[in-house]
Amino acid sequence: MLQALIDQVGAVAAWFADPVNWSGNDGIPNRMTEHIVICLLSMVAALLVAIPVGLFIGHTNRLSFLAVTLANIGRAVPSYAVMALLFPLSIAFSVMGPGGDIAYLATFLAMLLLAIPPVVTNTYAGMQGVERDLLEAARGMGMRGHQVLRTVELPLALPVALTGVRIASVQVVATATLGAVFGGGGLGRFIIQGQARNDDARLWAGAILVALLAIATELLFAVLVRRANGKVRGAGSPTASAAPEVPFGSILDQSRR
Amino acid sequence: MNGKPLIDWNWIGGHLDDIWALTVEHLVLAFIAVAVGFAISFVLALIALRWRWSYAPITAAAGLLYVIPSIALFAILVPVTGLTPLTAEIALVSYTILILVRNTVTGIDGVPIEARESADGMGFTPRGRFWRVELPLAMPLIVAGLRIAAVTTIGLVTVSALIGQGGLGRLINEGLDTSFPTKTITGAVLSVVLAVLADIGFVLLLRRLTPWTRARGVTA
Amino acid sequence: MTASQVTHADAPSGIAPGASVVFEHVTKRYDAGAKGPGAVNDLSMTIPAGAICVFVGPSGCGKTTSLKMVNRLIEPTSGRILIDGRDVLQEDPIQLRRRIGYVIQQVGLFPHQSIGENVAVVPKLLGWDAKRRRARSDELLALVGLDPARYRDRYPSQLSGGERQRVGVARALAVDPPVMLMDEPFGAVDPIVRERLQDELLRLQEQVARTILFVTHDIDEAIRLGDLVAVFQTGGILAQFDTPDAILGAPASEFVARFVGADRGLKRLSLSRVSDLEPRAAVTGVVGASAADARTRILADPASPWLLLLDAAGRPLGWVHERRVPAAGVLNEDMADPTEAVLTPRMSLRDALSAMLDADVITGVVIDDDGRARGVLTVEQVASALR
Repeated sequence: MLQALIDQVGAVAAWFADPVNWSGNDGIPNRMTEHIVICLLSMVAALLVAIPVGLFIGHTNRLSFLAVTLANIGRAVPSYAVMALLFPLSIAFSVMGPGGDIAYLATFLAMLLLAIPPVVTNTYAGMQGVERDLLEAARGMGMRGHQVLRTVELPLALPVALTGVRIASVQVVATATLGAVFGGGGLGRFIIQGQARNDDARLWAGAILVALLAIATELLFAVLVRRANGKVRGAGSPTASAAPEVPFGSILDQSRR
Repeated sequence: MNGKPLIDWNWIGGHLDDIWALTVEHLVLAFIAVAVGFAISFVLALIALRWRWSYAPITAAAGLLYVIPSIALFAILVPVTGLTPLTAEIALVSYTILILVRNTVTGIDGVPIEARESADGMGFTPRGRFWRVELPLAMPLIVAGLRIAAVTTIGLVTVSALIGQGGLGRLINEGLDTSFPTKTITGAVLSVVLAVLADIGFVLLLRRLTPWTRARGVTA
Repeated sequence: MTASQVTHADAPSGIAPGASVVFEHVTKRYDAGAKGPGAVNDLSMTIPAGAICVFVGPSGCGKTTSLKMVNRLIEPTSGRILIDGRDVLQEDPIQLRRRIGYVIQQVGLFPHQSIGENVAVVPKLLGWDAKRRRARSDELLALVGLDPARYRDRYPSQLSGGERQRVGVARALAVDPPVMLMDEPFGAVDPIVRERLQDELLRLQEQVARTILFVTHDIDEAIRLGDLVAVFQTGGILAQFDTPDAILGAPASEFVARFVGADRGLKRLSLSRVSDLEPRAAVTGVVGASAADARTRILADPASPWLLLLDAAGRPLGWVHERRVPAAGVLNEDMADPTEAVLTPRMSLRDALSAMLDADVITGVVIDDDGRARGVLTVEQVASALR
């Protein structure tokens, strides 16, 4: 059994070493790019929808029940089922995705549905987490609603909101592989091909590549969140004391006094 | 595009038994996965709480399992455990570990420190304090974790159809393979309904388990 | 039903109600083997049964640490603590804690249990049945001034700070413990509520005299509540251990004098009552009595030109200057200047002094519980009480 495992690892290593797998349509760079593009497009679209919604309900406290309920429902929906339902749509509209991906619309919409709920709920939660005292201090100084939003709420809500984006991104990276089942592109292709051809090395390689990409995404966001946190706490990094932060900094001083 | 109606209601009417059987199979797979996952996660959480240094490696390992795409994990396990429900269960359980361990640990950590201190002062044994004070207060987060785990598992069960398991996922795939949209739509819609119902179910469960969170109003 | 009616058979065996607490050379060091002072240094004191002993001092003086060593939430590094002569270190800490009432500042009520359940926590740990727990819980809620019917099914989040503190005290009293430890219990409420809670505690103590160890950083609270006060100094050293009067009257060190405050004289006055002093006689006259007679008497008194006018029942109506007493006729009310400085027996000397200063007089009328004048008290008399 151990021998089998060692053999497997060797086979995978050999697969990675093979230059054939690094070139062309079916090469690692191409598939990786496809995957990143697919995820990026969905994420950007999701952010364009989810962040304004989250900010709106967080800032004005209206419609929060409706939005949160919808977000919960969206999160519950199985991605595979959604893709299966939308697949015929994809064909009907003949939308071509990266790499001539005819399943792209289905994948795009399914990922959109997957990414929006965590971003909405976390943006909303981040806004909710801003202390009332700070908001009152800001308004007391004569700031208008949108100024309070920009200088107080947004920076303070950023870490939590970014965490939501992080959760969404990692899930999208991992789940976008489902697109390959419907003939789509991206790293999922390796997995499907590996399974179909009984090529274990390819199968494992696909899994490893997706996992690596997901981990990289996680780490990237961890760094971003930490930097956002640092600014919130005024942790004295050079960027934190740059001009845009100053009005925010003085609010904090005011409220402490 | 090809003149056939999108949903063949006759077919549905004639196959209610089969559909029901698949739904049950789907639920059973999901339930077992979440139950086993919770059992394992609870033990891991206890370990992480007792030996703090183990929390990081445990979540790292669970996280690693979590980012392996489901289709890959299913496919990788097949040579090991065959095209059986066990394969599906192993994968499904793996996906629940991260969220359940994290939520359980965070939930227990979130218990107010003065409740703990007064419990000690009154003469609770550490074990008594854990089961009677800390665990009940950690319930909201634990149940929230179970809710997410249940819903994602139901979703992943549909994917397990690719290795021959998967309840309603099988219906979806058959529909795709045979260009029979009725099956696909039925399978897909039902799995969505199942997931949403589970979500609502857990919300209600949480409300019943934590009556104190809904207590309103301060006496004069 | 009052606390004293609860049979003391309910109290877990071994310790009689109101137990003495003795510290014998107790030391606590957090860094074993380090030189220099620890958190608590060689603390020795004896607290008699049934007394309220207040530990007071600045932050970091070891008062809370000392308190927590009694129920072994913190273990002493050396020394012994005896409750009714029994060394706490020889006992199982869990059992020990179930016999000692413990109240902390944030109360620490369990959010997930109702008020009734919260009060009955220790009885439940001791295995009391549900009926008994509920009866005891209701009894205790009533004792601390909370209507059981209204409060027993509520949750802590629904109560105000003062109410939660009362529940905390009720909970600590559940098994009728002989010793209660209270760690700044009234610190988190506003001054009005705090004073009420202090009064409640004193009232409860009048019913059943427990030994209470009470930690506070507020010297006024210490003086108000304590039968004995232990003043701690930074570094875990006991600066003085004595009655409040002795600490205020004769501070043992510069530190204690500074800690009690420059107004310690005035503070001492709040410890004595009007009834502690013997009122002096004043020239009095009753409404309707002969004015000429009154005039004679008042002129005969060299000390003061004032006559105290009383009504038929003997209650004070005001002061009449000798110039306004006519040579003939009767005394009537219009002759008198009403006085605000009326002193009741239970009034503290500090409040008496305050009343006299407010009325801008140096003499106050002392009345008895029926409102009848008994005599007068001068500012000078009050001041001399300090000596």
